[in-house]
Amino acid sequence: MTRITKARLIAATPLIALLAACGDNSETEEVIENVASLDVPAEIAQRQDNFEGIGDSFKVIREQLEGDAPDMAAIQEAAGDINTRLQRLPDLFPEGTSVEAGFDTEALATIWEDREGFDEAIQNAVAASEEMMAVAASGDPAAVGEQVGNLGLNGCKACHDKFRVDDD
Amino acid sequence: MAHDTHAVSIWDLPVRLTHWALAVLVPAMWFTADSSLWWWHTRIGHVLLGLLIFRVIWGFVGTDTARFSNFVRGPARVIAYLRGNYDVKAHIGHSPLGALSVIAMLGVIAAQVGMGLFAGDPYDGATGPLNALVGVGTADWITDTHEWFVYVVAGMIGLHLAAIAIYVGVKKQSLVGPMVAGKGEAEEGVEGNSRASFARFAICAGAAIGVAAWVWFGAWPLG
Repeated sequence: MTRITKARLIAATPLIALLAACGDNSETEEVIENVASLDVPAEIAQRQDNFEGIGDSFKVIREQLEGDAPDMAAIQEAAGDINTRLQRLPDLFPEGTSVEAGFDTEALATIWEDREGFDEAIQNAVAASEEMMAVAASGDPAAVGEQVGNLGLNGCKACHDKFRVDDD
Repeated sequence: MAHDTHAVSIWDLPVRLTHWALAVLVPAMWFTADSSLWWWHTRIGHVLLGLLIFRVIWGFVGTDTARFSNFVRGPARVIAYLRGNYDVKAHIGHSPLGALSVIAMLGVIAAQVGMGLFAGDPYDGATGPLNALVGVGTADWITDTHEWFVYVVAGMIGLHLAAIAIYVGVKKQSLVGPMVAGKGEAEEGVEGNSRASFARFAICAGAAIGVAAWVWFGAWPLG
């Protein structure tokens, strides 16, 4: 979401319920028309499922670390799953599937404006997931804990901050 | 029912403001979540938290019709009301059945707001201010529940609107008017609501804002 769009949405928020009820929000209508007139590419749902899977596996690792005796086999499996899923990402963002194009997605148009930066961010995440796989195989829970921070911040969050709809 | 009626005060201003704020902000919570406007979702959520806290305290120290002790009654009253043995115009405030609906509505919204405080994932988008107090698995379960529980909230709103429609259609009585203006018709001899005390209102509002702000900043020393 661009700053301008965001500012407009902020300004509109107190009236949003009313506007939606009256069907008088031209911006909303435009977006609805856009989605209705275009076929929704399958990649949007695929990448969302894929991210859900990454999140679930990441939670498996973090949940194991909360206990006294982390199940290293489960952590290893989850780390491998994250790595596999991250490698699918480059194919799941076809041009023009941004939230700005009217799709039900949190993918910002900046992904395609800075495709190189986006691909680099994915590769950083892939690299972090490989480090996670390595420490998981080593069987050291403390090292896995450190990699949770690395993967979460340098892998997931770094990319979300730049290429996904603002979340706070 | 042949009695003459006269206009009396029914709902105090704080009750009405709380009601209409909920009517606007609960749908706004759905909208902001649906549109990924998390900055707004988390802030409006805290306003709702403050409103709920205010309404609960006001339910103990507010005006007559605002007090739980004056409208939450035993099942005998509810049954009598359902059988038609309850003269609505002889009483002001919530009917015995409406009282249950008030408790259910407040409870459902409070549950949803309460879950929101713990929901989210620090590595994946917005989080409630108390997210770190629970484990990853618990937060995940709360988040999932928070997501489908919106349909329970919507169901309560649907029941509420249906009851208003029944009152207009069958009983020819507007519940909305008094909730806007504060006044309604009651039988001669029935007294209106007590007057709201500004000092009590200020204390309740201060407490509600204080608690909501405390939670927003992480509920030290719990967080």
